Amino acid sequence: MQTTASSSLPAAQQTASVRIPRPTRPYGRTLYLAANIAILVFLLAPIAIVVVFALNPTPFIQFPPVGVSLRWFEKFFASRDFMHALWFSLEVAVLTTLSATILGASAALALARGNLPGTRLIVATMLSPLMLPAILTGLALFQTYVLLDVGRPTWGLVAGHTLVTLPYVVRTTLAVLHNFDTRLEEAAQNLGASPLRIFFEVTLPLIKPGVLAGAIFAFIVSFDQFPVSLFLVSPGNETLPVTLFNYLKFDLDGTIGAASVVSIVLAFVVVIGLDRTVGLRSYVKL
Amino acid sequence: MSTAASQRPNGLALFILPSALLFALFFFLPIGLMAVMSVLTGNPVVMPKVAFTMRHYVRMIDDPFYLEVIWTTIRIGLVTTLVALAIGYPLAHWMARIKSRTGHALLLMAVLAPMLTGIVVRTFAWMTLLSDKGVVNQTLMSLGLISQPLKLMYTETGIVVGLVHIYVPFMVLTLTGVIGRIDERLEQAAENLGASPFRAFIEVTLPLSLPGILAGSLLVFALAISAYVTPILLGGFQIMTLPILIYQQISANFNVGFAAALGIVLLIISLILVIAYNRALGLVSGQRELQ
Repeated sequence: MQTTASSSLPAAQQTASVRIPRPTRPYGRTLYLAANIAILVFLLAPIAIVVVFALNPTPFIQFPPVGVSLRWFEKFFASRDFMHALWFSLEVAVLTTLSATILGASAALALARGNLPGTRLIVATMLSPLMLPAILTGLALFQTYVLLDVGRPTWGLVAGHTLVTLPYVVRTTLAVLHNFDTRLEEAAQNLGASPLRIFFEVTLPLIKPGVLAGAIFAFIVSFDQFPVSLFLVSPGNETLPVTLFNYLKFDLDGTIGAASVVSIVLAFVVVIGLDRTVGLRSYVKL
Repeated sequence: MSTAASQRPNGLALFILPSALLFALFFFLPIGLMAVMSVLTGNPVVMPKVAFTMRHYVRMIDDPFYLEVIWTTIRIGLVTTLVALAIGYPLAHWMARIKSRTGHALLLMAVLAPMLTGIVVRTFAWMTLLSDKGVVNQTLMSLGLISQPLKLMYTETGIVVGLVHIYVPFMVLTLTGVIGRIDERLEQAAENLGASPFRAFIEVTLPLSLPGILAGSLLVFALAISAYVTPILLGGFQIMTLPILIYQQISANFNVGFAAALGIVLLIISLILVIAYNRALGLVSGQRELQ
């Protein structure tokens, strides 16, 4: 964290020192800002709309809204199906976060410090579930479970989620590992610390922000995951996005809005937590 | 990296094993099995006599319907990518060049907020916006601009709008990184030599950001052609894309072999895109080393 901040400072100062006042061209600048604000509206309006419909009391989509009520939230929290799905999603997300964080952080450690041959290829492979269609991961796992006749167990779903969330943990942990000074570990070694002690007292505290950021990404991605879940959930034991999807196919009332708001709020709480604890900026590069 | 380290794998290398096992069992094995299933006549577990066949692939090529599905998928992917680039670039440029730290943080939040809202939720949002009685149509009608609702949903346009909204943050984040690395003094030099800001952008910044444009476009295209939720809900089960067809083969027809063959086709397209994406990003880092 500190290294990035200090290295970016001199560059900014350099830029400032050679700056020559530009001739003012207000129209171009106005157009540029107007276009960007329109794009921001496009990005954010749908999220605002969801909140509006969650609070609007009419049983169908109506615009402009006629009032404010919490009836859809009541319906959501009273619905056994939605509540079951919400808890199941949380359970899967927690299990996924644990496994993806442990596996991903140790893999990143091996990749950054283990002198493995072909590191670049291994990293590319480990990040590939991000770009390869998740629906294929779901399909392939579904076929495998059918062939092996294991049914659709929760661990099978968690394994699928781990596969698609692991890349985030690997990436954020690698980013921190590449940034930090290996001399700290060498110094501890010279002072007589055992490798285990170095790991727990030097390496782990230093890579913690990266691991934590990855864990939070893993949680959110798992909580919102759809394509893998679609193939791997069993009827009656569905995750929240799958339940929402099935509901959306037939109904378009405020319950979906309320459910959406609940999941948005949950994601935001997690992200604000992330921003407060470790800062976002360094970890969102794709 | 560290000079003291030897070039042979050390004890830490063993930490790769759990992930390697996960990938072997839950990624390579399933995809391998999918490839095998795509060339078999049936499920070898329940059917005693299965034979090698190319019929699933032949069916895809012989029937114009399936070629049409593949083409629709690619067409939607291409349009989504172009629109995402057109609206993602200005925002990425602003994010990369904005001086205020707070401003940058706010823009980043605005770009991440949609990403943190699940795909199903965002598709629901677009359904409420684009349906016949949706926000867009009701607003336009109450303003007297149209008398009949525009057909926005259940069309390819609707699908593209939804997909652009979902994938534009990926474009913005990829581009911001690349534009941020371009030395701003190059633009200033061009302007000092008399170029307008627009011309300086066209002749300096834009060419230098080409690898980012390529990488972002490949990423968005790869994501868009594998989307399922948005095309099925905004297309109202009327527009068929490859992922929809794949799921339909499993859920309605239970034709695992044909689904596997379709999956392999989608996988090959995606693999080509992933390799091209890595090449493009390689170009970006190569460029940085030169500077």
